[in-house]
Formats: sequence, structure tokens, C-alpha cells
Amino acid sequence: MLHRDTVISDIAVHKPKVMAGIFAAAFVIFTLMGLKDTIFGALMAPVIGDPAEAGFSGNAATGLVLAILLTVNIVLIAFLPLRYQIGIVWLQLLLLFLTFFYSFDLKLSFIQTKIWFMITQGLFTTLYISAISIALASGLAIIGAVAKLSSNGFAFAIASFYTSFFRGIPLLMQIYLIYLGLPQLGFVIDAVPAGILALTLCYGAYMTEIFRAGIQSIDKGQWEASRSIGFGFGLTMRRIILPQSMPLIIPPTGNQFIAMLKDSSLVSVIGVWELMFLARTLGNKDFRHMEMLITAAMIYWMLTVCLELIQSRIERHYKSPQH
Amino acid sequence: MGIRHIFLGAALAVAGALSGATAFAGETLDQIMSSNTLKVATDPNWAPQSFLNDNNEMDGFDVDVAREIASRMGVEVEFVTPSWDIITAGNWNGRWHLSVGSMTPTTARGEILDFPGVYYYTPASAVVHNDSPYENVADLNGAKMAAGISTTFELYLQKDLTIDASGVPTFEYQITPGEYRSYETGAVALDDLRLGDGVRLNGVVGSLPAMLKAIENGYPIRVLGEPLFYEPLAIATDKGDAELNAKLSAIVDEMRNDGTLKTLSEKWYGIDYTTALN
Repeated sequence: MLHRDTVISDIAVHKPKVMAGIFAAAFVIFTLMGLKDTIFGALMAPVIGDPAEAGFSGNAATGLVLAILLTVNIVLIAFLPLRYQIGIVWLQLLLLFLTFFYSFDLKLSFIQTKIWFMITQGLFTTLYISAISIALASGLAIIGAVAKLSSNGFAFAIASFYTSFFRGIPLLMQIYLIYLGLPQLGFVIDAVPAGILALTLCYGAYMTEIFRAGIQSIDKGQWEASRSIGFGFGLTMRRIILPQSMPLIIPPTGNQFIAMLKDSSLVSVIGVWELMFLARTLGNKDFRHMEMLITAAMIYWMLTVCLELIQSRIERHYKSPQH
Repeated sequence: MGIRHIFLGAALAVAGALSGATAFAGETLDQIMSSNTLKVATDPNWAPQSFLNDNNEMDGFDVDVAREIASRMGVEVEFVTPSWDIITAGNWNGRWHLSVGSMTPTTARGEILDFPGVYYYTPASAVVHNDSPYENVADLNGAKMAAGISTTFELYLQKDLTIDASGVPTFEYQITPGEYRSYETGAVALDDLRLGDGVRLNGVVGSLPAMLKAIENGYPIRVLGEPLFYEPLAIATDKGDAELNAKLSAIVDEMRNDGTLKTLSEKWYGIDYTTALN
């Protein structure tokens, strides 16, 4: 529920039909997965005998036990306070994930030898490219938003053409076009500036729309009052409109930053040694691609979690009564 | 108000950009000598030619050859790592001066790049999964085949490979794939092949040394039959600097004659690929 509900209804675990449904579905799915040859089958050996010879009944027995465990697990968790529920479900999903990765037979010692370089070289590059791009994109977005709201036909046409084009073609294509195309005009730019330029233009286009919406949300009276006491366009924007629209603009901008952090992986195609490039390259010599890809995935994920925490703090800050 | 000024500025910038379009016709060799740096493009996704070693530095046969070329030119070497399709796209505009990337001098590539010297020859082979029934190359007709994008192996499977270099034996197209897929690199194709015969692929065409390296690393694959073709592998430069090409050509010849290339080939492959051809 979005807000605390005043209509009292029974929780799902108290409804026998729902629980029976979950149990039945789990039983069918686990049985069909044929788990008797996995570690679960091995644990069930005292009941079903040698897993290799157990046949369908072995699968069914394993499925039954797992379905019971799952259902009991759900019921037990449901009795806990909300905070613990969330924590425990997260923990269990995380464990499932780790088991999944563990089953790939990864070589952890290989990851250990490479992870530091991935962080100092790869993560560092990813972060600074994203940070520069988001800063430039914000500047571009303000100009774009003002232009889109202006009554000047040229300004509106150019700004809307810009947002339409750069939101309309894939970022990867923009990177290729900028890196390979700009030199045709005489501008030979290196891989890093080309990547930053592509990210800036693409995200600038998305953020133009965010800024425009933010500016438009400010009541017309604010504008009229500001103009009536003699403020010019620039002063009205800087002192009256933008400060009030910031609370609406900053949270989605944080979101854009998180998205850009991951999209910056696309600049690996032009040879920038950021996280994704290293993930593809470091494991190459020893044919350990999975290790590096998973390590990079984890680094991206942890970074995103950190940014999400910061993001929610910012949002809370702007929701507080002082604002 | 201020907006008009911004757009006027933008218009001027665009006009400036268009008029500057003729820049960069200078000699690459001069640029190398004056900056005292030879910028070499090589894609570190192709062990053992070019890869990141345990110290996370560039290493491999191509990298060693590039270092040797730079030292014979009396300049420092610097590596850049654009992806393979960007290197083969040409129009480098001085971003890098030389590609030492085991590139095959095909006629199509010859239109946008120059090939000053062939420095070794590798056999190209087809590999299949260990569990597959294939006995010889002809069995792969109609199979699901793969190779790295923009590689000669891809061209071979598409029956569009013309090798324009002296001393290369002629070859025939022995495989007509039922289905063809291209991958970012050959290594990714091998990852798909290892999943099992026919899961995603039946076979991959690639360079024999790379395949042997994969087998050494425990990939459940085997090489099928005799090599499909031998590809000459050359250093490449951007089109048009004859002086640089003459110099590079002389250096490669020198390296072959004094045995440097042979030593490097034996160091990285255990076999001398630099002259021997069947």
C-alpha cells in the first residue's frame, strides 16, 4: 500500500487458499526442475536412495521437501516485524544469488589478483567519466530547458530537435558516430573526451526534459510577481524559479546519474579502460571471463547501492519542511 | 535575451567546424618523430598476441613486435586499445600511427589502410566441441558456425575472403555454414561453443594458436582436420604516408632477417610462424 491503510484485512499468510497455492506451485516447479541430481538430491539420499537411480519419485520427493521448506519459511518470516522481514528476505535472496554464482566453479584467487586493478583503474575511470558527464549534462539541460520554454521559435526548434535526436538514437551509436564522425569534420578527439561528449549529449537530452518539467511546475504567479518588481529574465530564473524547482529536479537527476554510471560501460568499445573494458579484457589471457564479468557486476551493483542510499537522503532532505 | 547570444555562438562554432574540415594532412612520420612517440593500436582481447598480463600491463607477441619496431625507430611506444572494428574502420587521423594487431591484408582493407609488412603467418582452423560427432571439416556443412566480427574467419565463412599478399598458398572454401553468427571477439564465440555441441554453436573458425591456447586452458573443444587457410598477418598504417611505410617495411624485413621475429614467435607460440608455410 502506498499509505498506511485504514481498511483492515487479513494478511496473506492467514489465508489457507493462498498458502496452499504457493505450496502447490512450488511443488510443481521444484519437481519439474528435476533436482535429484543436485546437492538437494544428495541431501535426500537417506529417503530416496541413490539419486542416480531414484527416477521421477526422487524428483518429486525432493520437490516436496523443498516446497515444504519454502512455505514454512514464508510463514515464519510473516510473523516477524516488517523491518526484519525485509532484512531476512534480502539476505535469503542474496544467499541464493551467491549459490548461483558459486555453482559456476569460479576461481576466487584469480579475482583476488585482479580486483584491485579493477577498482583503481576501472572503477576510477568509470566514476570520473560519469561525474564529468553528469555535470556537463546538467549545464546543457538548463540551457535546453530554457530554450524549450522560450517563445523564440529558433530556440525552441533547436532544443526540441536536439532532445528528439539524442533521445531517439541508441547511446552506443552516438558513441560510434562521435568517435568516428567528428574527425571527418577535422576535430580529432581522443576516446575519453569522445565518450564524455556522447554521454553528455545523450543525458543532456533526457535531463532537458526533467529540467523543463521542474521549471514548468512553478506557479505562474511567481513569474508574474518577479517580473512586476522589475526582475529581468536571468534574475527571475536564478533567484525565483530555479531555487524552487530544484527539489523537483534533483531527485530524478540522481536517478540519471545512477543510470549513466552503468551506461558509461558503452564507452569501452572505443578503448577506454573503464570497468567494463577491464571486465572483458582482464580474463582474456587465462580464459576466465565469467570471474571478471561477475566481479565487475558486483562492483557496479555495490556502487549503485551506495548511490541509491545517497539519493534517498537527498530526497528526504528536499521533502523536509524547511523546503 | 541571453539565449540569442548562445545560439549565435553555436552557429559560429558549427561554421568554424565545417571550415576546419581539411585539417590533418600532415605526415605521420613527422608526427612520430617530433613527439618521439609511436602510438600503436592493438586490441588486448586476443591472447597470446595481445592481452593484459598478470601485472595488468600490455603483453603478447604483437605487443613485443610493436615495442621492437618502436625501439628500432628510436622512439617511445604507447599503446591505445580501441576495439577491432574501430581499428579496421580506417581514418585514424593521427590518433594512433600503427596497428600491430595481426591484421590480414585483404583487398577490401587495402582500400582504406596500407600494409607495410607481413610479419607472420598463422593457420586458421575450425574447432568443435569434444562431444560432437564431427570428424573432418566437410562435416561442418550446414552447421551453426561462428567467428569474430570483421575477422578474416568471418569472411572465410561468408566466402568473401581475398588475401592479397605474396607467398600465401591458395585455399578453397570447405565449409558452407547452415547458420552463421558473428561475435564481438572469437573468445566469446568459444564461450558459447563450450556450452555443448549445438547448444548455441556447432563450430568456430579462428586462429589455430588462439584455439590451442583455449584448449590448454581447459576448454572442451578440439581442432578439426588440417588448417583451412594460412593468413598472412601484417602491420597496418593509415592510408597515404609512403615515407613511414618504407621505413616500417625495412624494419620488418630487418627483424625477419636477423631472427628477432623468429625468436618472438617461438617465445609466444612455441612454433616459428614467421616464415614456415606448408
